[in-house]
Amino acid sequence: MIDDLAMVLASSVRLTVPLAFAACGEYIAERAGTINISVEAMMLGGAFNAVWGASLTGSASFGLVFGMLAGLVIGFVHAEFSHRLSVNTYVVGLALNALVLGLTSFLLDSVDLTGHQVDALNIPVLSDLPLLGPVLFAHRWPAYLLVGLIPLVWWLVQRSRFGLELRAAGENPQSADVTGIDVRRRRRQSVLLCGVLAGLGGAYLAVGEVGAFNQNMTAGRGFVVIAAVIFGGWTLRGTMAGCLVFGAADAMRLALPALGVHLNSQLLIAAPYLLALLAMMFLAKTHRQPAALGAPFVRGIV
Amino acid sequence: MRPSPQASDTAVTPPAARPRTGDEHPPAPSVLPVPVVQLLGIGKRFGAVRACEDVSLRVQAGEIHGLLGENGAGKSTLMKILLGLVVPDTGRILLHGEPAVITDPSAAAAHGISMVHQHFSLVDRLSVWENVVLGDRGRVDRDRARTLVREVGARYGLEVDPDACVEDLSTGQRQRVEIVKCLRRDPGVLILDEPTSVLTLEESRELFTVLRRVVADEGRAVILISHKLDEIVHATDRVTIMRQGRVVARRATADTDVRSLAREMVGRELSKWTAASAVGALDALIEPGTGEPTGGTALLDVREPAAAPAPDPRPPAGEVRLRISDAHASTLDRRPLLRGLTLEVRAGEILGLAGVEGNGQAALGDLLSSLLPLGTGRVEVCGVPVATGRPGAMHAAGVGIVPEDRHVSGCVLDMSVAENLLLADLSSVTSRGLLSRRRMAARARQLIEEFEIATPSPDTPMRQLSGGNQQKVVLARELAAQPQVLVAAQPTRGLDIGAIEYMTERLHAAARSGIAVLLLSTELGEILTLSHRVAVIHRGAVVGEMDRADVDTERLGLLMGGQAA
Amino acid sequence: MTPTLISEPAPALAVPPADPRRRPRVADLGTPLLYAASLSTALVLAGLLIALVGLSPWDAARAMYDGSLADGAAIGQSIDQAAPLLLVAIGSVIAARAGIFNIGQEGQLLVGASVGAAIALFTPGPGALVLILALLGAAVGGALWAAIAAVLFYWRGVAVVISTLLLIFVANQAVSYAVNSPSLLREKAVAGQVTTSQTDMLAESVWLPRIGEYPDFNIGAGIFIALALAAGTSVVLVRSRLGFRIRMLGLNPKAAHRAGVGAVLIGGGALLASGAFAGLAGGVMLTGSGHRMQDGFADNVGFDGLLVALVARDKPMLAVPVALFFGALRAGGGFLSATGVPRYIVAVVTALLVLATVFPAAYAEVRRRRTAGA
Repeated sequence: MIDDLAMVLASSVRLTVPLAFAACGEYIAERAGTINISVEAMMLGGAFNAVWGASLTGSASFGLVFGMLAGLVIGFVHAEFSHRLSVNTYVVGLALNALVLGLTSFLLDSVDLTGHQVDALNIPVLSDLPLLGPVLFAHRWPAYLLVGLIPLVWWLVQRSRFGLELRAAGENPQSADVTGIDVRRRRRQSVLLCGVLAGLGGAYLAVGEVGAFNQNMTAGRGFVVIAAVIFGGWTLRGTMAGCLVFGAADAMRLALPALGVHLNSQLLIAAPYLLALLAMMFLAKTHRQPAALGAPFVRGIV
Repeated sequence: MRPSPQASDTAVTPPAARPRTGDEHPPAPSVLPVPVVQLLGIGKRFGAVRACEDVSLRVQAGEIHGLLGENGAGKSTLMKILLGLVVPDTGRILLHGEPAVITDPSAAAAHGISMVHQHFSLVDRLSVWENVVLGDRGRVDRDRARTLVREVGARYGLEVDPDACVEDLSTGQRQRVEIVKCLRRDPGVLILDEPTSVLTLEESRELFTVLRRVVADEGRAVILISHKLDEIVHATDRVTIMRQGRVVARRATADTDVRSLAREMVGRELSKWTAASAVGALDALIEPGTGEPTGGTALLDVREPAAAPAPDPRPPAGEVRLRISDAHASTLDRRPLLRGLTLEVRAGEILGLAGVEGNGQAALGDLLSSLLPLGTGRVEVCGVPVATGRPGAMHAAGVGIVPEDRHVSGCVLDMSVAENLLLADLSSVTSRGLLSRRRMAARARQLIEEFEIATPSPDTPMRQLSGGNQQKVVLARELAAQPQVLVAAQPTRGLDIGAIEYMTERLHAAARSGIAVLLLSTELGEILTLSHRVAVIHRGAVVGEMDRADVDTERLGLLMGGQAA
Repeated sequence: MTPTLISEPAPALAVPPADPRRRPRVADLGTPLLYAASLSTALVLAGLLIALVGLSPWDAARAMYDGSLADGAAIGQSIDQAAPLLLVAIGSVIAARAGIFNIGQEGQLLVGASVGAAIALFTPGPGALVLILALLGAAVGGALWAAIAAVLFYWRGVAVVISTLLLIFVANQAVSYAVNSPSLLREKAVAGQVTTSQTDMLAESVWLPRIGEYPDFNIGAGIFIALALAAGTSVVLVRSRLGFRIRMLGLNPKAAHRAGVGAVLIGGGALLASGAFAGLAGGVMLTGSGHRMQDGFADNVGFDGLLVALVARDKPMLAVPVALFFGALRAGGGFLSATGVPRYIVAVVTALLVLATVFPAAYAEVRRRRTAGA
């Protein structure tokens, strides 16, 4: 019984990790005022590039770096289009999602990929704890990066100069502008950061958990990440809680049949998306989003 | 217009008045020191509009320098240039005699130039201390920032809680934050853009006391941008007057007076006292105990008083057209907007609702635009209750409105003038669901002519019209619907004198034709010249009401500041 | 290669010619050139990509041409592919004009097609009537799926962009469930045959008729439905009172509310209409070409149709040539397998073309703003 529980929980955490990486990025982008739907493209591109990079270099860890680079490049294109050329962020996001899905599918059929997976790291002593051990202390090593990343992101947004300017850009770009903050630059930087982190999330999914790349492997996880930020009411803590909930829903899909519980498989696959919709339905109105979320900034146009 | 029989010599203290003694003025040195700021031959065009042309300005340390001009005279553009928000086409900027290139606000800050913006540069959701350090460089030190806010606040008498969230502060407190934010950077030059429009009389006085200390004790320079003559006369040492993008005069304030300043600002004798009030010659207009602004007319040399569209001396007792009773409303996150507001407007009268900005005028405007549903309370038009917040309900009930933010909710900038003239009343140009282009154009032409709207054609996009003409389009549309009630919110804000005169006349004409007119304004002068009755709004409720004849500006000021009188 | 796109006049953001304050025309000459350069760049990039993986871009281009334009049959294929794209695009245009960004057409299309399939399979009656009922049912199904997003938005404030996106994944699973359940849509068991997760083939009487039954040229009736609706939508948006209200709502919701245009009624209606068009597109695909529901039925038509609307900058009539062009790309993509170039290259080209068409307008606007100095 304990074992079953531990298995489900451990798998929840495993499936939460890629979401959490990407959600840290999406959180930063949204606080600066961008609803970044190309986070899906960033994750998918990150996943593909990680496997490709791992195949080229023979090292899954290098794959992670390749994944982050892919996210960065996608973030760069998004940032330039939407926060330099002022193209509607959804238009850019849609085009990038379509582009990356097409590109990764195309390349998957055209280049040779080999499977690589980063090493597992069982924390000594702690991983032997009953229940908690397998759930928290027996993962692939990049998962532990979150322990440092989450506080770092919190500090970056809430305490640093950069974060202060970022929040100002998301709340009131006009005021931020007259105060001497380069709003569009801050927003571009936030999308770039989002790209790196979402790329890492996708890379972790590919070379961390699965060890290979399949066509459209993220399958909408990027959109679940956006839902997690909304679920979390634009707080980092809430966002991470959202990731955990959606990760757990995903874990149930895999675990329930193994546990002998027979639920309709389509319902289980749809569960994270349904849950995200329900969560937004109950929470969207009670939260306050950044006041200028989704609004492009052009000096002098209110 | 009858001469006032009981004109008393008890002069009303004008809002910005402060006693000034000779020794506060540094004696003019024989050799002028190098000016802190010197603008030479500045020119700037926006498309075909000449915002500034060959403008030169010298500001010395230790003076409050007034920059006077009508709306659209180029004052704001000039200051945006000095602040690096706008790049000039021609001209040079000298700071302390050295040529300087200012590319953005942070560069301006580095040169010691700091500006208190008219509509504030604060970010609502951030705390006071966060706002104060916004725009700095380097690490964010929370404790130091808090201490700093307290210190600067104590030094200038601008106390404010550093940990408060800005959105919880009143407009007066926000301005304190804004000034603290500027002063703590130790600027050589402090620019204030129309600072008193959001302040009560009391707060305005305090502000000018602070400013005087800033220049007298610390040798800074202050540039005060204003279109209010009394403010300029009472608070500044020297004044530069701009008109249509050019400097038309430079004066030592002591050598001039309201009347000549008004003439120079407008470029002609003011023929209508309404206009005089609109430019802020309020103290010249009001004499306590008189219903007639005869002092003002005399002062401004009106030769033809009959032409002045003065309100009837006694409010006509028409039936109640608009009745708002005990209206309560709040935002989605439960911040109160209206707290038991009650008022009545009668047919044929103009009720002026005075108040400092941010006291519920915007919410009242939204309520009467069907944009805000009431929590409790009711709105009746001609005795019939109206469903508040339902799309188009107010319009259907006969409430016309010229909203404060014409761009945002009064018109559709990306539609044509003709379309904007017909937004709500499409039925007259529709047959079987299809719009008749011909009938639309004909109706539009008729209104364009009737309301003297200057537009190249009815098909011109609304965006390309001047502010005054956009205003006319909105007014024309609302009046064409033959409303029972007309609401005008800040109808003259941002307009030039000609457009102000036009608006005033139209509002009078509307009242004469039997429409109940509700005027929302933060400019006391505008209220006093236009209204038959005056009410005061404070924190979302009407706190006092009086006939125009009984107006006592001191009492009005106290009411607007929230002190019961 | 894309004359319709290149010769399109300057973007809607630019000042119309009647205005005396218009900048000198010389400066505007840059825009068509910019479009040409931008679109060429997109195509060159796609070519480079093919070359990079060691295949021949020329072979790919030739195959694309053979599949889309070479002969009557190919042209017919392109037109057939264009019909659902155009339908989805018209719907997107309606929503976008009302200021609503519906990006869940892929799901609405799928749900619509399933409802259409249920009607077509289980309704007795004359074929023509059942066909019409199936198409209407498909539209209603799509509209109802979009209605979920509308309710979530107007009742609970959930962003339409996100909810319509997430609903795609829910729709995928819901339809998959229906197609896998013998009690719902799964094909009926026939002795000696294993059933798979697909519906029965529609009876031929409820197939959408094809016009011109020649071996070398024939097209389905779908394109005529789509063209008629595009023209109708164009008239409604530009000439009618309803269209005026939709535009007013999209351009300034506050002014619209004041004037009596309710966001819930008109905006929600526009969202439902866009869902209905997506659903109808699904119905046309079902009755016009596939004749049964199976895995991968939607095949990205929902997304591609949305991209058509984006490229056509929300003008229904402009969407016609754009849809034909995208349809040709899709038809050509079917011929790629012989060359060894994965057909996904079509998706890459499509997306690159979208970026290439938004770039010049945005770039011109940025340049204009910079010279204006604001």
